[in-house]
Amino acid sequence: MSDAPVGALVEGLFRRSAGRITASLARRFGHAHLAMIEESVQDALVRALELWPHRGVPGSPEGWLLQAARNRVRDRMRRDRSLARILSDLARTAAPEAPGATSAIRAGTVVIDDDELALLFLCCHPRLSPDARVALTLRLAGGFGVGEIARALLARPDAVAQRLVRAKRLLREPGVALELHAVELPARLASVLDALYLIFGEGYQATAGDAAVRRELCTEAIRMTRLVVALPATDTPAARALLALMLLQASRLPERPDDEIRLLDAQRRDRWSRAWIAEGLQLLDAAASGTELSEYHLEAGIAAEHAVAARWEDTRWPRIVRYYELLRRGNPSPVLALNHAIAVHMAEGASAAAPRFEQLATMPRLAGHFPYHVAAGRHAEERGEPGLARAHFERALALPCSAPERRFVAARLAKVVA
Amino acid sequence: MPRFMLLAYDDPATLGDIAPDEMQRIVERYIAWTERLAAGGHLLQSDKLVDGAGRRVTRRAGELAVRDGPFAESREVLGGFWLLRADDYDHAVRLAADCPHTEFGELEVREVEELDS
Repeated sequence: MSDAPVGALVEGLFRRSAGRITASLARRFGHAHLAMIEESVQDALVRALELWPHRGVPGSPEGWLLQAARNRVRDRMRRDRSLARILSDLARTAAPEAPGATSAIRAGTVVIDDDELALLFLCCHPRLSPDARVALTLRLAGGFGVGEIARALLARPDAVAQRLVRAKRLLREPGVALELHAVELPARLASVLDALYLIFGEGYQATAGDAAVRRELCTEAIRMTRLVVALPATDTPAARALLALMLLQASRLPERPDDEIRLLDAQRRDRWSRAWIAEGLQLLDAAASGTELSEYHLEAGIAAEHAVAARWEDTRWPRIVRYYELLRRGNPSPVLALNHAIAVHMAEGASAAAPRFEQLATMPRLAGHFPYHVAAGRHAEERGEPGLARAHFERALALPCSAPERRFVAARLAKVVA
Repeated sequence: MPRFMLLAYDDPATLGDIAPDEMQRIVERYIAWTERLAAGGHLLQSDKLVDGAGRRVTRRAGELAVRDGPFAESREVLGGFWLLRADDYDHAVRLAADCPHTEFGELEVREVEELDS
């Protein structure tokens, strides 16, 4: 007997099944029906809820759920001979399914053979805003609920629901469903990678929100990026670099407890995931074989430097500074400027970084940025300016932050005041 | 030992917008509760009824009437049942108390009339 509690199912079974079944039904019945398919998948879960306690869990739970959802879709289609039905027929006439083929998207001559990947590419339609792509990908391909997405993205549930409704409305437009079959792969791939990067970032940044959900976001982003890399047509250097970046960063998750801020210099490096580091480094190596140098390459390069340093003191900061210089060439983000300044601080000392921190102080977007005030406070501390350090720490505490972040800054503030 | 019928009335509105992960946890609670009843020797039978309207059959003044109903649109629908053995109403209610259905619908507890009671 296993130790699992009575009644326990495989962890994450419903969530992963929901994503896969949605993808599979969307291919079978047409992406124009996504909203209806989503409801049918939900109905299947409710049916499992009502039936399994009496009849036991079926031998193949996911197969059972797929069958139940498919039956619901058929019921609804039979009842609903509306415009959506006609549009879907139109879409299928435009791109008839080859016997035995499982492709949903034709990208030039490229055929995406994987249902989940096809759904992912649809969710990242370029006409959707990056926020909407992320929400839709999480909902339809990831099987996350509206409340979970809202907690992960630090948005209000009604705002997320609104975003999803608008996004799905766009996907129902007949042009969009038809477009699916002639998608420009490179442009769409960039938008898919961007959404996956955002999903991972939301999960990785320990700002606030539900810690368990955030971890799931990381896992899910890695899983979907693996799908992208597994397909020859989308296995580009940028995609590999993104996967490398995710794995190298996620390797540190075991040393990022939910209830405490533990910075890189305080982490136990023997607890980092060696397997993910090895795979990440290998991928980064493979990603660097072409002529393409994306932002993912540079960010993965930074993560790799941390991963290979045996101790904090061994970190090759000048290399990291170089990566930040390259990253900033194409990107005016103040947050990048902040990270650059921190790297210079580490590489060349607090005095060398002082002009950079002075410049950061003039950037309005950093005024309400919690990590900026923490970093500036630490920099001021080392420069021997306790007054300035104190002002930054106090400012940080006045901003919205999680309980562990508050404790972390309060402890530093106490040290400065003492 | 007396038998009790637990009639599960569903509230269709409560399960519409629950995330898959949460739904799975609820299913697990239902299964665990049912298995605990069985392990304790209380459970005699349990089943789900088919969704949607059944037939209501009446005969008035010799005239047989068969109508569809009740409809799911009505506020509460009988969705399933558990048949239990329990000492008395108090015991049956205690067994019912930690059934998750108390959160997602309503349980009606009714004693089965035995021949000798």
